[in-house]
Amino acid sequence: MAHEADVLTGPADVPIGKADHYGHNLPLIDGNKSYHQVTEEVFGPTERRPPVAWWIAISITLSMLMVGVWGGYQTVTRGIGTWGLNRTVGWAFDITNFVFWVGIGHAGTLISAILFLFRQRWRTSINRAAEAMTIFAVMCAGTFPIIHMGRPWLAFWATPYPNSRGPLWVNFKSPLLWDVFAISTYFIISLTFWYIGLLPDLATQRDRATTKWKRTLLSLFSLGWNGSNRTWSRYETVYMLLAGLSTPLVVSVHTIVSMDFATSVIPGWHATIFPPYFVAGAVFSGFAMVLTLMIIARKVMNLEEYITTRHLEAMTKVVLATGMIVGTAYATEFFTAWYSGNPYERYVFLNRALGPYAWAYWMMVGCNVLSPQFFWFKKVRTTPWMILILSIFVNIGMWFERFVIIVTSLHRDYLPSSWAMYRPTFVEVAIFIGSFGLFFTLFLLFTRVLPMIAASEVKGVLKNADH
Amino acid sequence: MPITESLCNSRFRASFAEPDQLLNAVKHLRAAGHRVLDTYTPFPVHGMDEAMGLKPSRLPRACLAFAVLGLAIAVGFQVWSSAIDYPLRTGGKPLVAIPAFIPVAFELTVLLAGLGVVASFFVVSHLRPRFHIPDLHPGSSDDRFIVAAELGPDVPFPTVAKEMSSLGATESCLLVDDRFHRESSFWDRPAGVGTLLVACLPSFLLVGSVLLLNRDFQQRNLSWDGGMGAPIAAQAYDSSGVLKGGKVLQPPPPGTLSRSASPALAFLAGKAEAERAGRELPNPFQPTQAHFNRGKVVYERVCATCHGREGDNNGSVIVARGAFAPTLLVSPVVRDMPDGRIFHIATFGGPTKMQGYGDLLSREDRWKVILYVRELQKAAARPIPAGGQP
Repeated sequence: MAHEADVLTGPADVPIGKADHYGHNLPLIDGNKSYHQVTEEVFGPTERRPPVAWWIAISITLSMLMVGVWGGYQTVTRGIGTWGLNRTVGWAFDITNFVFWVGIGHAGTLISAILFLFRQRWRTSINRAAEAMTIFAVMCAGTFPIIHMGRPWLAFWATPYPNSRGPLWVNFKSPLLWDVFAISTYFIISLTFWYIGLLPDLATQRDRATTKWKRTLLSLFSLGWNGSNRTWSRYETVYMLLAGLSTPLVVSVHTIVSMDFATSVIPGWHATIFPPYFVAGAVFSGFAMVLTLMIIARKVMNLEEYITTRHLEAMTKVVLATGMIVGTAYATEFFTAWYSGNPYERYVFLNRALGPYAWAYWMMVGCNVLSPQFFWFKKVRTTPWMILILSIFVNIGMWFERFVIIVTSLHRDYLPSSWAMYRPTFVEVAIFIGSFGLFFTLFLLFTRVLPMIAASEVKGVLKNADH
Repeated sequence: MPITESLCNSRFRASFAEPDQLLNAVKHLRAAGHRVLDTYTPFPVHGMDEAMGLKPSRLPRACLAFAVLGLAIAVGFQVWSSAIDYPLRTGGKPLVAIPAFIPVAFELTVLLAGLGVVASFFVVSHLRPRFHIPDLHPGSSDDRFIVAAELGPDVPFPTVAKEMSSLGATESCLLVDDRFHRESSFWDRPAGVGTLLVACLPSFLLVGSVLLLNRDFQQRNLSWDGGMGAPIAAQAYDSSGVLKGGKVLQPPPPGTLSRSASPALAFLAGKAEAERAGRELPNPFQPTQAHFNRGKVVYERVCATCHGREGDNNGSVIVARGAFAPTLLVSPVVRDMPDGRIFHIATFGGPTKMQGYGDLLSREDRWKVILYVRELQKAAARPIPAGGQP
């Protein structure tokens, strides 16, 4: 996409001598590549047989997926009793994983839509993979509420469809129904956005196809794309409109997810800070997951010249900023609890930090508030292995954040006779492992089947210095 | 065919290696009076719309229209279903709860706007699954920047080709317009698309009929036997327009004997009859393991809720909740009763609290349960071994 200004290439008013200091005027893609070289390097992996490492990786992820299938089978055939839930903690592992995965998805939309609207052209190297990650993460998220239904084949009951039970409609005043609409809209729009972005690259793949069936299949999916400027002109309009629609959508999705909790009257959940706090947390965890995936993928697939350390550095800055927003939210929650004067609210937060789940709370604080602080150092921001370790810490921390919010608020009910502890059973852990298996399996397939880099967008920013 | 030939020969393309050269060429061709048909590039070239004189797309209007449609559907449907068709108060909210309707309204607005603008884009740009790609120029999806134009009047092609190569063109050639002459696939023409849709119709119908028929996956809804399994005769609990009492199920005529049941007991309710039963009725079953096991099952399912699993009145339902205690089965009073008397009580009920179970338990089960109660009594009379935890 052609635009006027952005951070990495910089506005014109930066003094010439200072340009390097600010990181401006550096090319977005290293290696001084030609257009054809980009085509070869981006589409090459999809045309070769996968290396041995890929087969090893996918056999591991498929095994993880099978573990999850076993867990799902146990749950469906034997019932929710195979989970560690009890009367006090009626929501725990599944909703934690649901929010975790939805949150991870948010970085993809943020990179593809919000950074597009802000004219951050460095997004071109990572947006394809990040959007794919969004779609796979939302698929993983969706499995949890559906399995929790117990009878997943009746999941369509959550949609308003004309039925034979008299005038019986879903309850549009329930946040759980808002969730159904938000997640499904998010999935459909993300998929559409991803597909629209893929169209030009599918055409390139089609024109390079060597076998007849591959060409036929790609002809069907590339919709007769021929690079016509009339189409490109409309395409850019549509892309901009979809970015404009996705931006409020992504904010609304995690807002609605947070309302699952915030509209209840449970102390620890009933808080107006939840929507912004959840959205910041989602972006935080999502960027951490993008970093984790990209650092491995750029190494394995030799894409270091496309996803440069400057890209990684820009993302770590987002992680640092959102990490501090999340840290501020933790502190604000405690202040609000104290300031409310409500003894139950105060108790919940004291219990969160000092009670039986204190280990989880401090794990969360350590991973989410302390570990991103290393990103203040440029050395850390530009060293991939350090970023990888910190991003994994952030992922662990964000999983614990959801676990802490959900379980510590529930496990001590108003009556001490209803106090209970929650621990997951192996079936629940298996489903969680399975969701990682699903996610990585899909991602591995994606890297071999579709171009991982948006070649048409990268070509557009290749000769940036000339303009 | 000179006319067709001149039409065909009047179109040409020039191919460039850099977008800037293409931009210059397009500006040059338009200034020279040629008609630029289109350019084909691997990525959108900035400034090309202005150079080609394209007007801004009207797709944003389509997007707005679909957004308004989505909002109207969402608000209309939520109000209709929550307040008119199915007015049910939940959570103390009014039937038309505007704030609660906002999230779904927003999501549907975005959904329809997004899908609608993409569909409009596909329609106006003629994008649909194709086997034959129209106007496909080699390299346009890789590293070539191609312009297709129509020669202005009285300009020979070699002149233009020379101009193009001076602007940096790597290749220029006349186009045999394949709009009219190409080997187009049947499936790419409207007739082909229509045929495809008609061919898919049975599968659409099948999917639709499955959706219509499958109302409850707990029951078999699709009957592969053509309904032969469903009887035409009236069902036992149906209402009837002709039979007495308006019911299908009628009591048997007086004096009817059941083929399976034993003959009626020659006893009535009451204490005197119970004592007589104690004298006259022996237990027809020997205390074998099989009879004992059946008695245990019946006892634990039916009797134990009040009398307790050990016959100690520690039942799960009544005594545990502070209600009355039944007669202690392991007490000496019951231990000394003959089997027939216990059988009478189990059949007609006790003198004070117990209801009769004669119509709930079969006669065999009542006798077998007595065998089990006797064992409980023996176990209770046995002294607990010292040091052993019960």
